[in-house]
Amino acid sequence: MDAEARRALAARVLERSRADATEAIVTSDHRALTRFTHEFVHQNVDVENVAIRVRAIVDGRTGVASTNAGDDAAIDAVVRRAIEIAAFAPRPAEVPVLAPYASLAAPPAAYVDATAAATAEQRAGVAAAIFDQAASNGCWCSGYVTTSDGGVTIATTAGADASFDGTECGANVKMTAGDSTGFAECYAPDTLVLDGAALGARAAQKARTSADPIAVEPGEWTVILEPAAFGELAAFLATHFSAQSYDEGSSFLSGRLGERVMATGVTIRDDYAHPLHPDAPFDYEGNPKARLALIEDGVARNLLTDSAWARKLGRPNTGHGLPAPNAQGPFPLDLVIEPGSPSLDELIAGTKRGLLVTRLWYVRIVDQRRTILTGMTRDGTFLIVDGKIARGVRNLRFNQSLVDALGTCTFANEQHRTGGYSYALVAPAVKFDRFTFASTTAY
Amino acid sequence: MEFSAHAERALDTALARGAAYADVRFERARTERIEVRNGEVADLRDAHSEGFGLRALVDGAWGFAACARFDDTSLDAAAARAVAMARAGAAASRQRIGTIPLEAYVDRYVTPLERDPAGVPLGERVALLLEAEAGVHSAPSIAVGRAWIDLWRTDKEFYSTIGSRIAQTIYQSGGAISALAVGDGDSQVRMWPGDRGLYFGGGWEAIELAELRENAARIGEEAHQLLSAPQCPSGTMDVILGGSQVSLQIHESCGHAAELDRIMGWEANFSGTSFLDPAERGKLRYGSPIVTIEIDNTMPRGFATVGFDDEGTKSVRADIIRDGMLVGFESSRDTAGQIGAASTSCVRAESWEYVPMIRMCNLNLLPGDVPFEHLFDDVRDGVYMEANRSWSIDDRRLNFQFGTQIGWEIKHGKRGRMLKNPTYGGVTPAFWNSCDAIADAASWFEWGTPNCGKGEPMQTGRTTQAAAPARFRNVAVGVGYGR
Repeated sequence: MDAEARRALAARVLERSRADATEAIVTSDHRALTRFTHEFVHQNVDVENVAIRVRAIVDGRTGVASTNAGDDAAIDAVVRRAIEIAAFAPRPAEVPVLAPYASLAAPPAAYVDATAAATAEQRAGVAAAIFDQAASNGCWCSGYVTTSDGGVTIATTAGADASFDGTECGANVKMTAGDSTGFAECYAPDTLVLDGAALGARAAQKARTSADPIAVEPGEWTVILEPAAFGELAAFLATHFSAQSYDEGSSFLSGRLGERVMATGVTIRDDYAHPLHPDAPFDYEGNPKARLALIEDGVARNLLTDSAWARKLGRPNTGHGLPAPNAQGPFPLDLVIEPGSPSLDELIAGTKRGLLVTRLWYVRIVDQRRTILTGMTRDGTFLIVDGKIARGVRNLRFNQSLVDALGTCTFANEQHRTGGYSYALVAPAVKFDRFTFASTTAY
Repeated sequence: MEFSAHAERALDTALARGAAYADVRFERARTERIEVRNGEVADLRDAHSEGFGLRALVDGAWGFAACARFDDTSLDAAAARAVAMARAGAAASRQRIGTIPLEAYVDRYVTPLERDPAGVPLGERVALLLEAEAGVHSAPSIAVGRAWIDLWRTDKEFYSTIGSRIAQTIYQSGGAISALAVGDGDSQVRMWPGDRGLYFGGGWEAIELAELRENAARIGEEAHQLLSAPQCPSGTMDVILGGSQVSLQIHESCGHAAELDRIMGWEANFSGTSFLDPAERGKLRYGSPIVTIEIDNTMPRGFATVGFDDEGTKSVRADIIRDGMLVGFESSRDTAGQIGAASTSCVRAESWEYVPMIRMCNLNLLPGDVPFEHLFDDVRDGVYMEANRSWSIDDRRLNFQFGTQIGWEIKHGKRGRMLKNPTYGGVTPAFWNSCDAIADAASWFEWGTPNCGKGEPMQTGRTTQAAAPARFRNVAVGVGYGR
């Protein structure tokens, strides 16, 4: 469904609503994914859906209902239900204000026709190229190839009329070679990045290089995290930038706006227009997103707000709202960590003794306020000796305050779009001078 | 059966396009979420979603297409897409996995429930949460109070080309309260019941059983007290885990480890593999002889209890660990067939939009014979830990580290002062072999998890790990804080 069709659907919702104010969010989604292991495709999916979310405000009270049926009866029912629900909600201290019209420009190259038209045969072809790399390198592989296209339209009775369409594609592969594994991934709006042979070769090379891994002692190490690994960690900063967590005291930033909180050279932004991750120029309330520095050269500069938290704290609305109302508060969907000067090879060359980590797994919060995280290395962990990769090592568990680690770090000069467990961002490789491992594994 | 005509058309199209077998699942799901946060209704929504997902098998490979429109053109297009994808997958594949099922069922299943949530006025639901949330603000340091309810009703119909026609109505319900205390550069959280709330297959009785209002003040006070409680010590000592934490321990270090798709490498690039090998069935000592863990997809109150799974297999009970020995796996039809076993009916899809896959369903640790209070009797030096706060385990399900919201010192058989930030770690088989006592059936409960993640695209599963508190000897404690 294109933007015009979504607009027409949203308009039908607004026309049919007798609420004091109404918001319609219409999302269209078409995603396909080919998943493989041991050189066969075990899952091949193609899904289409269109969803309508209605927020009705009646006498200051809010009700929300959603449906994925688009006929008149379904639209009447979902509007009626949202209004019914509003009647049961207590009247809040502040009456919600819906987004007005704003002039918005989508970042370039967010939507690529070739990606939207990708076929199962194309995805299978990328998988087959990976299979070839597995066979020629004596590995077995597991991974996926995905393509998707979709869009969102937000319209309100206050005048908002915002639409965005984007495409996504990606692939990841894990190669297993006896007692070692390797990993590679790529993500972009354009299928041009889907080079199965290159991805497979990179993952296989890591698997072969880390063969016969040795155990190293846990403890404090100099560590270089490649982008896929660093992205897993950095995702856990996202909630700390929210005005809600700042105000309520669960953020490490609470009370520290304007202070130095990380090393000079650490700049973290939220930027919907970054070319590696172009996204909607508006949030889920239909308000314009600001492109802003959250941490600038190590200093805490900005908090993220939505309409409710902007009013509550008397701050500007930065346009980082999730569908309202919600309990999560404002959230950054487009985190970008700025690169440094040295290349990844130079970071490795400048390390006398350390560890190079390809990927992390099952990262979880141990202590929210202190940003202590735990997790495991996986799929390519290497010992660096005298500036060179010496050999593979067995995987380790870390317990580390991320903010402390970002107090003494150096970023590589190249940014990558990462996939991550559930959160995509743009990040370079990073070298942490001190990073604490607590235990090791048998593999 | 409401969708039988649609099903007939879609399945006929799949066969005409060349499928050797096809099945189609129509679902209509209604989800209600209410959340109160610091005195305001932060979330109050009612979601309705319906559609169908069709699987087609061509030359031993599967294709899956899903769509929310039910007109003839959409039914035909989805069937054609599923067949085309299966054919493309078969062309690229160097092995074959898919097999045609042999058994067809015509049946209907409805979740037993005591009180249909639809009969509880919305105003009553909101009032309950407002009152419960207000109750957690029982101490000045409580910065965030929360109370929430989730209610699901899913009507689904399953049809296959070998003649299955299965209608099911599944009710699932749950809720919780939580308190976040902030002070002196620290924050501490408490939640009730357990660490995720009380969730199970059933109706409003789940919300009543949770006793949210009755426990609110205590939860708030505990969060407040944790701010000034001493840090959990570090070292090797005995640990008693509360029931919900044992449930989490089963989930992470047994449930996921025994999923046959992981063992076969199907999740290797994402959720990981497993340290288990099918050849170890009947040979590997997983835990001490008092440890017996079974699948029961038929149990009352099971969050994953259904009549039939999402590939049309009738729900069963099956052993995974019997008297400490590994004896089985969670499986689908295809994976079970690879090891010469029968499916354990563990296939679920999050909704009509998702492909069915192996999910941890109801996987329970059977109760022991020790009254809960006697678990403490011969613990000289240890910690009692309750309610998970942090969980992490490696991608073969061996090295784990968990933290809980609250702990209490145990000295010479007595539970003593409150401790904050308890953490412990270990390696799966060694840990389960250190289990020397499990509390009896009086403290055994069907703990449900509403948010188990697995698969690509990621699917959220609802699962039960029933458990009672249990005792483990010589555990590494305090590991999360670098000591």
